[in-house]
Order: sequence, then structure tokens, then C-alpha cells
Amino acid sequence: MNRRELFQKALGAGAAVVAAGVLRGQSSSFNGPAGGSRGSTLVTILTGPFDTSSYPNGVRPLTDAPQFATYVRIQVNPGQQGKIAIGSSAMANTTGKAADSAFLELWPNWNGSTDSGRSDTFILSDPEWNNTINLADIYVWPEFAGEAPIVTAFQLA
Amino acid sequence: MTILSPSAASGPLTVSGAPVPIAASSTLVNQLSVKPRLGQWSKVLIGGPNLGNDESNAMAVLYPVPFGGQADAFVVQDQGGQNTIDLSQIYVYATIPGDTPMVQAFEYKNL
Repeated sequence: MNRRELFQKALGAGAAVVAAGVLRGQSSSFNGPAGGSRGSTLVTILTGPFDTSSYPNGVRPLTDAPQFATYVRIQVNPGQQGKIAIGSSAMANTTGKAADSAFLELWPNWNGSTDSGRSDTFILSDPEWNNTINLADIYVWPEFAGEAPIVTAFQLA
Repeated sequence: MTILSPSAASGPLTVSGAPVPIAASSTLVNQLSVKPRLGQWSKVLIGGPNLGNDESNAMAVLYPVPFGGQADAFVVQDQGGQNTIDLSQIYVYATIPGDTPMVQAFEYKNL
């Protein structure tokens, strides 16, 4: 095999790797547009109180299957009394208190008496409005079982 | 495809007596937030490698939230959509040893 043939063989192997990657992306391993895309219409993909009670230890990812958003907002639900912990998969896998593995805690707003009634809120958006935030990578744990923060997520479809 | 994902450096950062870097080695991220942990009594200082525990060279001084309320925060994000913030160059100090300010960092990854 000469150098040219060897080079062509190496290129062929590289193409096979790329093709496998493309196939993985097209094999329904995620919902909606691919990560990093940017469509032209802002679509709401999550809204309302987010109930985690049916998940192990009360820790639930925002979506079960990967779905890529450009903006996500998690707000404590006014009138509820527990903190809300937000974290990565490390929080789902912990054997101790979930909040000790979180990257953020939101303070409850049970009667509007602190911070002029404003509810503590986590907001993350892609600075270029690309669909890069994998909702399945973000986990939520309400300190009090049964409480449900308000979750909103947008995607440019 | 490119996704914005929680960094492994995210989570409670234990600070014991001296400013500590958020990551031991170079770790580039797109977005960083540091907050005092709810219920803890430390003021939290943020700075670079020259951060002093007397607030010298501090980028931010965050007030604690021992009795509850929304925590003060230091937030920075690259608006150009790149991983440019090196967590090993961001130091955190808590005025009470053993307290654990909350670090939230997101990084772009290619899958």
C-alpha cells in the first residue's frame, strides 16, 4: 500500500466515524431539533408546576429524553414552603441529601414577606439563542415532597 | 452537536480558611455563578489568584443569607457563546471556614 492508498484508507475510516455519529443523532435519541441548532420560531416546550414526586428520591430531570432549549426558567411557586435545589445528574445519583449535590438552591416564597414578594428564580439562556441547553441534564429537587416549582423552557424550532 | 451542559465543577465548594480556586486545573466554561449557601453565615469573596481574605483584590463581596431570602450572586457569562472563563483562575473565600458557597457553571460540549 503506497502513501496515497494509506491516506485514502485513513480518510475512509474517518468518514465511517462521522457517519456513525450522524446515525446516533438521527436515531430518536433526543426530541426536537438537534443541540446547537437555531430555528426561526420560539416554541414553548415546558410550562406549569413541575411535579417530581413520582421519581426516585423526588429528583427529576426536566425531560426524560434529551431535548435542547435556548432558554430555561425555574421559579419557586409562591405559597409553597420548601427550598428548591437544582443540579446535574450528580444530584440524581446521590445517596445523601440531594441539595448537598446541587449547584443552586432557591429560597421559598411562602407568604411574600421577603424580597418584596419576588420569587427566587433560576434562569439560563444560550447567549446566541442556540438550542444548546439539554433539559435532561438539569435536575430539580423540592425540599418538601409534593411541592412543584414553575418551569418554563423555550426552543427555537 | 453543541450543547451547554453543567460543568463537573458545579456544586457546593468547600472553603477552609483560605481562598480556593473553583477548579484545581484549567477548566474553561461559558457561564459561572457563585452564591452564598442559604442558611450559612459567611460573607463570600470572589476574585482572582491574588484574592486576599481581607477583601483585597476582590471582584465581588456577597452578603450571607442566614435567615433566608434570595442569595446575592456573582454571575458572568461569555456573550459570544464560547468557553472562555477559566475556573482555575477564579478564587472563592468564605469568612467562616468550612462553609460551602454554591458554584454553578455551564460549559459547551460537543457530542
